[in-house]
Formats: sequence, structure tokens, C-alpha cells
Amino acid sequence: MIHGVKIISYGMPKDYSKKRGDISKSVGYSYIGAMSPMKKESAFLHLPTYIAGLSYHIGTFLSLFLFVFFIPGIYPTGLVALIISIILLISGISGFGILIKRISKDQLRSLSNPDDYISNILVTLIQLMTAVVLYIPQSASYYFILISIFFLYLPIGKLKHVVYFFAARYHLGFFYGWRGVWPPKQG
Amino acid sequence: MENLTKETIDKGLEVLDTKNDGKLLTHLNSCVHCGLCADSCTYYRANPEAKYIPATKVDLVASIYRKYQTFGGKAFPKIVGARTLNEETTKEMVDLLFGACTMCARCVSHCSIGVDITYVIKKGREMLSNMGMIPETLQSTINSAIESGNNMSISEKDFVETLEWLEEDLQFEVDDDDAKIYLDQKGKDILYTLNPREPKFFPLSISAMAKVFHVAGESWTISTKMYDVTNYAYYSGNYEEAAIITQRLYDEAENLESKKVVLAECGHGSRAFRWEGPNYIKKEYPFDVITSVELLASYLNEGRIKVDPNKIPEKVTLHDPCNLARSGGIWKEQRYILNECVSDFVEMTPHGIDNLCCGGGGGQLAMSEYNDRRMAIGEIKAEQIRATGAKIVATPCHNCVDQLSQLNVTFKLGIKIMTLGEIVADAIVMENEK
Ligand code: SF4
Ligand code: SF4
Ligand code: SF4
Repeated sequence: MIHGVKIISYGMPKDYSKKRGDISKSVGYSYIGAMSPMKKESAFLHLPTYIAGLSYHIGTFLSLFLFVFFIPGIYPTGLVALIISIILLISGISGFGILIKRISKDQLRSLSNPDDYISNILVTLIQLMTAVVLYIPQSASYYFILISIFFLYLPIGKLKHVVYFFAARYHLGFFYGWRGVWPPKQG
Repeated sequence: MENLTKETIDKGLEVLDTKNDGKLLTHLNSCVHCGLCADSCTYYRANPEAKYIPATKVDLVASIYRKYQTFGGKAFPKIVGARTLNEETTKEMVDLLFGACTMCARCVSHCSIGVDITYVIKKGREMLSNMGMIPETLQSTINSAIESGNNMSISEKDFVETLEWLEEDLQFEVDDDDAKIYLDQKGKDILYTLNPREPKFFPLSISAMAKVFHVAGESWTISTKMYDVTNYAYYSGNYEEAAIITQRLYDEAENLESKKVVLAECGHGSRAFRWEGPNYIKKEYPFDVITSVELLASYLNEGRIKVDPNKIPEKVTLHDPCNLARSGGIWKEQRYILNECVSDFVEMTPHGIDNLCCGGGGGQLAMSEYNDRRMAIGEIKAEQIRATGAKIVATPCHNCVDQLSQLNVTFKLGIKIMTLGEIVADAIVMENEK
């Protein structure tokens, strides 16, 4: 929240150059077209990691969404609970896979700091714990301790990219839109 | 490297003050260390070491930001990977931010998050500039531009003499004694700029454009006082010097009452004057600014010049200058020009806004201490060219021409490198030929 307020209130330096493109179209492209896996080497050259990352993030957002229901004590049951826990199991395994990759690849290890491992482990545990709570409501107290740690840690480390990701896409869209680079012209 | 004083360190850190800059705040906080940008960078491709991953370069700057500007970095530096700005980090910054990045921005569009990696690297260079740590080789190019008005220190006398013989050459070429290279003329529609490499090493690219202007019936002039389109201070991160260079061209356009400044074929020069320049001098330009690529395309489109593609039968490929295409949005125009002017045009893979840098950008051509790295990343471009089977490589950037020429010799490509102006001039159909 604080980070979101900061991003907006700090503003951007004025650009005195003459605009050449369409900023709103470019910002739209930045969030959608430019994120297509076909457009990014970070996706199409690394498909397993890309799919694991996608699944991991779906699990994260699903967990946060469910947290809102868990506060007043609403716990999905039956088929819904089953589907949710399958999704969370897959996303948790994906998160674990990403962690293994980070530990086992020399270059990735050298790029990483403890925060990268802590953030991964924390989020993976939350996803798995969310699934557990659906079937073992008695474990809710452990779940709430874990999610409290998560929210305390959120503004300190890289987890805050949950806010900065959207801001980065906006700034990139603005920059390329101003110069008429995005959305790429056809032909 | 001598011990850094507190004053020097503070000067460096000033750049990281994000108080009025949400964009900087964003890009310093966005990288998730996934490492997936590695393959998009030619430095990493040529030499797959962790230090060449774009994110490593970003983290050099971001880790220092975390140390001084964030709660996490101040309270738990080891956990969040916060680093102190000291001799060690400064040395790494010089080596990687100046010596291992052409600022081509290819990594930016491929980053899984959307971190403007080049923006952060530029900030890192600005820090080093504030701390007086710009590589001397790069700084000497800037000094030449500031002291003499052009980065090759060409005297006005030599410049005028060169243009005079080029004018004679032009009259012979177009068979018209009235054909002119207009110097310092007031009130012309176009003030045409040059890359000083042209009068120094490639004068024929000036006569090529002069021929095109003549045939198009353009109202144009070149300034003998300030014609240099380049601005190497854009690369050094010294924006006071960048402003001095920009202001000079601005003043000359005003002084000559030109309606439009046309930027010669130079990737970084176009970017520095058109997009960054108004921000260096903190004012909007009262005149229009376009690149010569856009101008050539408009001549063809409007029928102001006629060309015959059969005049250039060889296979031609195109190298897109990063600063013109990816960071300037000019990539369709050069294809239109080539499709009109040559009979066998073939694309490289990848191309356009996804092109691979030739290796000469980011000031690398000026920093001879990094020549080995420059040629190593250039080999990727050389192989890309070889794969097309082209005999001519067209490129609208004199920096790229220089780097490609070196690649041509080193990797025995057997190609001819031409600017778009030269291609158009060769393909032009003169009135008496019709
Ligand atoms: S800007 Fe170009 S050279 Fe620099 S890190 Fe990115 S891809 Fe590599
Ligand atoms: S792809 Fe982007 S987010 Fe991932 S490591 Fe590279 S710069 Fe950071
Ligand atoms: S030298 Fe040419 S290709 Fe390389 S960065 Fe400059 S404009 Fe780009």
C-alpha cells in the first residue's frame, strides 16, 4: 500500500520531447500484447520455467483471494475445495521447482540473495497451507500466523513486486508509447 | 582506484534519490532475479558468465539503492542483498555498466517483469559520472565535442574545404553546375546535421544526401559551426555536458531560422537530440526534428524522387540501429526505402525492434579498453549477416557502419556497408535518365 502510494505521489519527470505515438494504446499493449509468451525470450526460450512461474503466480493470487474469505471464516467445501486444492498443489510444486532451479544453477545462485529464497519459501508455504486449511480447519491458527509473517515481510523484500510489476509495465508502456515504438506497427 | 571520499560517494548517491521520480523508484524495485533476461543480451551470449546477465547490471545499482534508501536495506542488508557504495562496487560498476553494456535495450522488452534495464544502467552511469569515474577514452571524445564543436575535432577550415570539393563532385555527378551544398544559409526549411565520421572518413555519404536533396528540390543547409549530430555525453551520463552539446545545435537551428532539423544517420545521435535533448535543456524545441530516414521515406512516398531498384541488383540486408528502431520507433521506414530502392532485400533474424546490437553502441567504439568484448559480441552480428548471404549491409547509423566495417574485416564477411542515403542516391533516376 505504502509502495503504491509512493509510486503515484512521486510522479514522473516531465518529458519535453515531442510525443510521437499513442500512450494509452501502448500502455494497453504493455499489459497484454507485450506479455505474450511469443513476444518474450524470457518465456519462449524457457517454457518450463515460464509455465511454472505462471502457475505459481495463479496460486499466489488464488491464495490471497481466499484469504479474504478465510478472515470471516468462510471456507469452500466439496468440489470447489477439491479444485482449489489441486490448483494450489500444482502451483506449490511449481514454486518448489523454481526454488530448486535457483539453488541448483550456479548463475542463478550468484544472482540471488537470501530474500529470493525466503520470499519463495514463504509464498509456496502459504499456497500449500491454504489448501491444507480447506481440509483441516483446525490448522487455521498456523495458517494465520504464516500469513501474518507474509504481510509483515511483504514490504521488505522482493515480494513487493506485486505492486511494482504493474507500475513497471505502465512506465514501459508510457515510454515506448511516447516515442511511437509500441504498439509495434504492422508490416 | 583511489579511496573514495564521503563527498564523492554522496555525489553518486544523489542520483538514486527517487523522491520526485516514480519511474526510477519502480524500476529499482521491480527485478525479481529470475535471470531470464540473460539470453537476450549479446554480452551474455558471447560469454555466458553471471556478471553479464542484464539483471546483474541492474542489481549493481539497485543493491546500492536498497542500502541507502530502503528500510529493508538499512535494517537487514544481508538478507535483501544491499551493498555499500565503495571502491569495490564502483570498480564493478565501471567494468559492467560502461564496459559490458551497449545500452541497446534488447533485454528490456524481453524482461519477464518489464524492468527498464537500460534506464537503470543509465542511472548507474550517471552516478559514476557524478563521481568523476567516466572512462577517460569516452570522456576525451566528449571533450573534443565540447572544445571544438565536433567529436573528431575537425577544424572549420578543413570542414569547409571538404564540403567545397564535395560540391564540385556533386555538380559533376548530377551534371548541373548550379547544384550546391548550402552552407550557413538562413531561413532554409532544413538544417541538415552530420556525424563527424562523415567529413572525416565517409565524405561520400554527404555527397549522397546532397544528391538526394538536389533531386528532391529541397531547401536545405549545413552549418559549418555546429553540424555534429552525436552526443557522447548521453552515454557517459554527464547530463550537464549533454545539455551543452544539445543547446549548441538548438541555438544554431534558431540562429539559422531553420524550420526543421534533420538528423543524420546516427542511432544514438538521433535519440540524444530528439528524445533526450529537450530534457537535457529543459525546454521544448520550437522547430521540428526528424531523422533522415523518415525524410528519405517521405521523398519516395511523395514522389519527390524516383528510383530504380534494378540499379542495385545485389542481395541487401538491413542492420537496425537499436537507438533508432527499438528506442526510437523508426523501423518501418527503412524497410520501405529498401523495398523501393533495391531488387533483392532480405531480413536478418531477428530484426526491427527485436534486432541484435552490432556491438558498437553504448560508447563502446570510443572505449578502446573494451575492444575485445566489443568484437566478441560483434561476432554474433557477423554470423547473423553471413546467414543472410547478403553482399550489401545497409544501416542508418555511422556508429554501426564503423563497427560493421571492423566486423567485416575481422570475420571476413566480404560485404559492402552502406548508409540509406547512399543506397537511395545510387538508386535515384535522374531527370535526363527517364
Ligand atoms: S542494454 Fe543491451 S547490452 Fe545492455 S544489458 Fe541489456 S541487452 Fe545487454
Ligand atoms: S528478466 Fe527482468 S525481472 Fe528477471 S532477472 Fe532479468 S531484469 Fe530481473
Ligand atoms: S552502434 Fe548501432 S546497433 Fe549498436 S547500439 Fe548504436 S545504434 Fe545500436
